[in-house]
Amino acid sequence: MAKQLGFYFDSSACTGCKACAIACKDRSSLPVGTNWRHITDYGGGGWVPDPNHPDLLIANNIYVYSLSTSCMHCEDPACVNVCPTTAMYKRDDGIVLVDASKCIGCRYCEWACPYGAPQFSEEKGVMTKCDFCQDLQAQGLDPACVDACPMRALEFGELDELRAKYGDVQAVDPLPDPNITHPSFVMTPHKNSQPVGSGNGKILTVSGKV
Amino acid sequence: MTEKNFLTKTLTETMLTRRSFLKWSAALGGTAALAGGVSYGLKVAQATAEKAASEGEWVPAACWGNCGGRCLNVAHVVDGVVTRQKTDDTHPDSPDFPQQRGCSRGRSQRQRVFGADRLKYPMKRAHWEPGGGDKSLRGKDEWVRISWDEALDIVASEIKRINDKYGPGSILWGTNAVAAAAGYVNTWGSTSSGTWAYTAPRVITSQSNMGNDRLDMRKSKLIVMWSTDPICSSGGSPAYHYLQSKKAGAKFIFVDPFFTNSAQVLADEWIPIRPGTDTPMLLAMGYTLITEDDPATNPLIDWDFIKKNTIGFDNTSLPDGVEPDENYRDYVLGLDASGHPAPVGHKNYPAKTPEWASEICGVPPEKIRSFAIEIGQTNPVAFMQSDALARVNNAQSVGQAFVAIAAMIGSIGVSGGGFGQTRHAAAGNRGPNLINLGSSGTVLDSPKNPVSARINNNEVWDAVLTGKYTDGVGPKKDINIQMVYHTKGSRLQTTVGQAKGIQAMRKVEFALTTDFHLTTGARYSDVVLPVTTMWERDGYVTNPNREAVFWASKVIDPLFEAQDDAWIDWQLGLRLGVYDPNLTEISNLQQAVNRVAGATVVKEDGKTTEPLVSITEDDLKALGVTGEPQTGRIPIMDFKKAGSYQVPRSEGDNFTFIALKDFRKDPVANPLDTESGLVELYCQKLADDVTALGWTAIRAIPAYIPPERGYETTFSDWENKVKGPYPLQMYNKHYWRRSHSEFDNVLQLREAFQQEFLMNPIDAEARGIKNGDIVKITSSEGSSIRPVLVTDRIMPGVTQLPHGAWTEYDESLGVDKAGSDNYLEAGVPTVEGHSGFNSQNVQVEKWNGPGLAPDAQWPQRIPLKEA
Repeated sequence: MAKQLGFYFDSSACTGCKACAIACKDRSSLPVGTNWRHITDYGGGGWVPDPNHPDLLIANNIYVYSLSTSCMHCEDPACVNVCPTTAMYKRDDGIVLVDASKCIGCRYCEWACPYGAPQFSEEKGVMTKCDFCQDLQAQGLDPACVDACPMRALEFGELDELRAKYGDVQAVDPLPDPNITHPSFVMTPHKNSQPVGSGNGKILTVSGKV
Repeated sequence: MTEKNFLTKTLTETMLTRRSFLKWSAALGGTAALAGGVSYGLKVAQATAEKAASEGEWVPAACWGNCGGRCLNVAHVVDGVVTRQKTDDTHPDSPDFPQQRGCSRGRSQRQRVFGADRLKYPMKRAHWEPGGGDKSLRGKDEWVRISWDEALDIVASEIKRINDKYGPGSILWGTNAVAAAAGYVNTWGSTSSGTWAYTAPRVITSQSNMGNDRLDMRKSKLIVMWSTDPICSSGGSPAYHYLQSKKAGAKFIFVDPFFTNSAQVLADEWIPIRPGTDTPMLLAMGYTLITEDDPATNPLIDWDFIKKNTIGFDNTSLPDGVEPDENYRDYVLGLDASGHPAPVGHKNYPAKTPEWASEICGVPPEKIRSFAIEIGQTNPVAFMQSDALARVNNAQSVGQAFVAIAAMIGSIGVSGGGFGQTRHAAAGNRGPNLINLGSSGTVLDSPKNPVSARINNNEVWDAVLTGKYTDGVGPKKDINIQMVYHTKGSRLQTTVGQAKGIQAMRKVEFALTTDFHLTTGARYSDVVLPVTTMWERDGYVTNPNREAVFWASKVIDPLFEAQDDAWIDWQLGLRLGVYDPNLTEISNLQQAVNRVAGATVVKEDGKTTEPLVSITEDDLKALGVTGEPQTGRIPIMDFKKAGSYQVPRSEGDNFTFIALKDFRKDPVANPLDTESGLVELYCQKLADDVTALGWTAIRAIPAYIPPERGYETTFSDWENKVKGPYPLQMYNKHYWRRSHSEFDNVLQLREAFQQEFLMNPIDAEARGIKNGDIVKITSSEGSSIRPVLVTDRIMPGVTQLPHGAWTEYDESLGVDKAGSDNYLEAGVPTVEGHSGFNSQNVQVEKWNGPGLAPDAQWPQRIPLKEA
C-alpha cells in the first residue's frame, strides 16, 4: 500500500489543451458545471514602442503558461479538516475521498479548499471530487488524465518517489501557497513561471478566473 | 409515465444517459411498428435482457472529424450505449514509438453521438409546400416528424419537378442518385491549403512531399514555425513530435499574429506579424540574404542549390523570351533590366527592403534583417508553415516567396532541414505511408454527373442570388439554382459569405440536408434526413499518419431512425428510377476487410513490403465476409480487436524521409514535376493558370499584391495613414472546441472552450472595451456579438475570431450571436479562387443590447420536442 499517492505535472510541456480535463469528465460522466480537473492559462507581458521606431509597437516579454490541477490529495487536506460529518476522508494511500452517504452538501469543503477541488453536484445534492481514478488504479491502470495527455505532462505515483525524481516545486503563480495544505503534487515549472503570490501575470479568461 | 411524456423528459436532458436511453429503447420496443418499421428499439431491448449481467466491451471507435489529429479512440460499450472512452493503450508509450493519443474533441465523440440533440427522425418544415411555400420561414419554422417514405417521396419529387422545370444545372450539390437523375452543380476552390493548392505543384512539388519525418526533425538546429499552431489545428501527436526536437536541442522561432499554445511550450522567440503580410516579410528577408551574403566572409545563400536546382532566381536562369528583369533577384532588389534602381512606376519598384516590408508587416526592420541572417547562418534549418498564410485574398505569391527563402538558406533536401507545409495529419511528420491499404472492392460504378458548371466557393451564394458566376476570363455566365442539397459537409457553415448564404437558402425552391445534428444548413432547409455517425457503421479504415493504420468497428446499432448516407442515396435512386434494384453494393464490413486484406507494410529494410495481416478460413467465417486466406505480419482478428497497427520506429531506422533529397543531389536524374523539372522562382505556368481563371493577373515571380481586406485596406488613406471604416484586421484560427464546424454543439467542449473574440488591450482601451465585455464585430457582411478576451497574446490592430461556430442569427437584433467566422467573412474571389478566410477588416464596439449566456448554457438544437 502506498503511503501517499501524488501527481506530477510538467508545466514546461503543457499546451493547455484540456485533453486531461475532458478525459476526466468522460471517465466519470461529469455534467457541465462539474469539473474535477482544471486548466489555468496564466500570462503576462505587453506591448511597448520600439526604441528605434517609436510608431511601431513590439512585444515585450509576452508569455503564457498552463497549469493542470485536480484535487491535490493534500497531506493536510483543508476539506477533511472542515467537514462536519466526516464524509470527506483520507484513505491509507493518501487519496482524499468523499463518502456520499455521509455528505450533507453543506459545501464547507468547497469553501475551504484553495484548489477548488470539491465540486457540488446539484443533481445529487452532495459533493463530488477527483477520486484519483481509484477503480482504474485497482485494476493496475493509470488515472484517465495521465493516460490522456498528448504531451505526456502528467504522471502519478508515490509522492516520495516523484519528489526524488522531479524535485520539490509544488506551486507557481497563480496556485495557492503550498504551505496551506501541503499538496501531494510536484511540478516542473515553465521557464516563464512567476513566483507564487507575485501576481505578475493574469488568468487568461474573460472572467479573469479559472 | 406515457411514452410521450417519457420522450419529452428524455429529450430535454442534455445527453441521453444510459438509463434514459435504455428506458427509451424499451418504451419504443413495444411500439416499433409506429416508428416506420425500424426495429431498433426492439433489438436493443432484447440485447439489454441478454446482456444484463455483462460489463461491456472496449471497441475501437472512429474519430472521423477533419481536424488533422487522427488519433485512436476506443469506446466502452455496455448494452448498446457507450459509457466511457479511452485512447491508445495498444502498446507501451515512448517518444520513438508513441501512442496515438486523442484530444479533447476526440474524447467528446460520445457526447456527439448520444447527444440529446441527435436528429432522430426525418423531418419537414411545418409550412413547407411543393415549391417551398413561404420560403422566408426557413430557419424559423417549426419542424414536423415524417416517415422515411414521405421524406424520400418529397425529395425525389422535388428533384424531378425542379429538374423538369429549370433543366440540368438547377441543383446545387448532390449525391450519386442526383447525378444520375438530373445532375448537379458542384463548387470548387481551395479551402484548407489556400493558394498552395496551385502554387505547390507548379513551383516545386506536391503538398505531401514537403518537410522531413519526425525523427529527422530532431536533427534540426532551428525550426521556424510560420503561422502554424499544431497543438490546436492537428491535436494528437504532432506537438509531441516537435517537443522531441526541442529536447534534442532545436531552437524554435514562431512567426504569427498570435502567441499560440504551441508557442507557449516550444518558442524560444516569437516574431509577431500582421495577417496577410507574410509576402512582404519574406521578400525583405530575401533582400537581406542577397545584400548581406558574402561567400567568403558571411555565407548566407546556398549558391550551389540556387544554381543547380532553381530557375528564375536571377536573369541567368530565365526561360527563353522572358524579359530579363522579370526574375526574383531584380524584383527583390528593385532593379531594372540594366541593373539600376528601378524608377517609380517600374514593375520592380521599389526595393523590397526590410524598411519597406516593416511598414506593412509590423515587424521592425532590424528584426527582419537579423532573422534572415540567423536562418542564413544556421544549418540545418527546418523552414515550416501551415497554410494559414495562404488563406489570404490575393496571396498567390506567398508560397513561392516562402520556397525562395527555403531554397536560399539550404533547407530543401537536407537532413534536419525541410520546408513548406507542416499541417493536418502530417504535421511534424512528413513522408510516404509505411502501410498502404488495399482497395475496397466496391462493385457498383458511380454515375457520371452530366452537369459541368462549377461555381467557385467565393461566388456560390452570389450565384444563387444573382444567377451569375465566373467561368474564366470574359463575361460571367448564367445559372439558375433552385435546389440546395447539403450532403456530407456543412457548406452553409463552412463557406465564406454566410450572411448571403442565408438569403440564398431562402430564395431557392427546395433545400435538403442530411446530417446527424441540426447544423446550420439543416436549420435553413425544408427537409432534414437523419444519418448515422461513423460509430453506427462498419468500414472506417484509415492511415492516421505515415506510421499507423486504424480499423474502427461499428460500435452501436444506428440510433433512432438514422440511416447511412449510402442507404439514403439508394432509396432516392430507386424512387428516381435510376438504380437497378437487382444490383447491390458489397457491405461496409466487406469493404473494410478488403482494404485490410490488401494492405501492405514496409519491412525493416525500408524497401520491401509484406501483407499486413494473416487471414484464416475461420477468420473469414467469424467476420462473415468472403475472401482468401493469406499470410501477413499480424493476425487480422488481433488488428480488428486493437483497432490499430503502428510500425515501431527508432532513430537510425530505415524509414527516415528527407523531402527532395534525391532532387537536391541530382536534379537532372531526379527532376521535379514542374515544367522545368526545377524549383521555379519564375513560374510561367502558375502565372498563366491563375490569370486564366479570370480574377487576378499575376506575375511569374512572387510579386506582392496587397490583399483585398488585408492590412493596407484598414486605411482609407494609406499614404497619410488615415484609418477607414473597418480599421482592424480579423482572421480565424482553428480552435480546440471544434474540428472546423464539427463538435460545436458538444456541451462539455462549449464549457471548456468559449467562443471568444480576441483583441489587444490597446485596441480595446481605445474603444472603451474591457475584458469580458460583449462586443459587436462588424464587417462589410454584417455583425456578430461575442464576449471579448482582451489579451496581449494578439498583436495590436489584429483581432481573432475562432473558426467554425454555428451561426445563431437573431432576426430581431439583426446580429449573429454565435461568432460565426463565415458570417463576417466575405466571398472574395481572387487569384486561384481559394477562400481567403484570414483576410477581413472589421470595426468593433461595445455591445449595449441583451447579454449572452455562457455558450454551454445555450439551449441545444432539439428540433422535435415531442415524438
